[in-house]
Amino acid sequence: MTDEDFLRQALQHLDALHNLAVYLTRNGSEAEDLVQETYVRALRFSHRFQPGTHLRAWLFQILRNTFLTFYRLRERESPVAEEGVPEREAPMFQDAPLQDTERSAVHMDLERAFTALPEEFKTPLLLAEVEGLALEDVARIMECPIGTVKSRIFRAKERLRALLKDYGGGLEGLTR
Amino acid sequence: MMDELEEPHPDDAGLERLLRARLPRHPAPPRLRAALLRTASPPPSRTAWAMQWMPPLASAAAMALIMLLWIAPRLPNGPLEPVRLLTHAVMSEHARTILWGESRADVVPAVLPRAMEESGVALSLVFVGDDAIQLVNAQPTYLEGRRGIQLTYRDQDGHAVTYMILPAGPLVLPDRGRVQIDRWRPLVRTEAGFSFIIWKQQNFLCLLVSDLVSDADLAKLEQYFVKVRSSTEPYQVY
Repeated sequence: MTDEDFLRQALQHLDALHNLAVYLTRNGSEAEDLVQETYVRALRFSHRFQPGTHLRAWLFQILRNTFLTFYRLRERESPVAEEGVPEREAPMFQDAPLQDTERSAVHMDLERAFTALPEEFKTPLLLAEVEGLALEDVARIMECPIGTVKSRIFRAKERLRALLKDYGGGLEGLTR
Repeated sequence: MMDELEEPHPDDAGLERLLRARLPRHPAPPRLRAALLRTASPPPSRTAWAMQWMPPLASAAAMALIMLLWIAPRLPNGPLEPVRLLTHAVMSEHARTILWGESRADVVPAVLPRAMEESGVALSLVFVGDDAIQLVNAQPTYLEGRRGIQLTYRDQDGHAVTYMILPAGPLVLPDRGRVQIDRWRPLVRTEAGFSFIIWKQQNFLCLLVSDLVSDADLAKLEQYFVKVRSSTEPYQVY
């Protein structure tokens, strides 16, 4: 397989990779950098990819490893807002949404709740429930046993439910 | 933990549905796709690259070789480096003398003994001048860690000529740049608008510097060199 063929196949998963990158980095330009770095690495190591295996999972794995290697170290140095509160630790859902904007705020609030999850919960939940990857693939991406993946997804849902309860009707309010 | 996993939460289906339907997705911007395509575009083949760059590379290499052959003889070799330092220092001192130094031949008999005493360089024989050039000043000096004596001459055209006598130490004059003048073979250099004649005499390094740089003027300086070289005998006092 030539580089061009490989890239053509890999680019079919660009949107999914970018989506995960946004949720991991919480920053548009950093997400683009992360995706670019992912593709550069994928091309560099394309000879290690075995045709017939799951390219999508392999790319997700590279993206996550790249994030953990380069971006997470930087993430520990949380920027401080003008008020002196670290921006990423700002309390969520501190104000109840107004009734007339409740529906329109659902996307934003769900996104904020999801983004607030730790990476080890957020990534398997996204890959399994949103991207529809098999648990075996998620386990390979997360480099952990399937049981651990199941446990993390379970706990991720619990945390997400707890966060969403801050809205009047909780999950029911969002799904009606 | 496993018990919890075996008993899915009743809301699980709703939450999963909510995530799939309502969690905003962030598709890649078109510019990112374009950038990735550029990243993977194959570079020009090595052969094409070589064919494209070979003529200018060959031309540049030939020019570099010519420049090297032209410049190399003019480049100072290793032992000249301390000499360069000295010539630069002497050049500064010469310029300062032109601007600020005394130039009165009548003061020399008074200042010369004191200059010898303070410099540690005595002159058993000294060229004080003739119709073409005259000694106008003498003073102790200190250059590049060497204490010596500086004699200043002025020729009939008004050119100042500085004659510096310093302890040579282990300094070795290079062969390159030597010019036969009368029975001596000193080093002759021109730099920054000044001419230098440099030689070793006993344990001293002697430098003659002036702004006489044209061929005719340099011939004059060589004549001055012969005069001071043959009529000056320095020796170390201490």
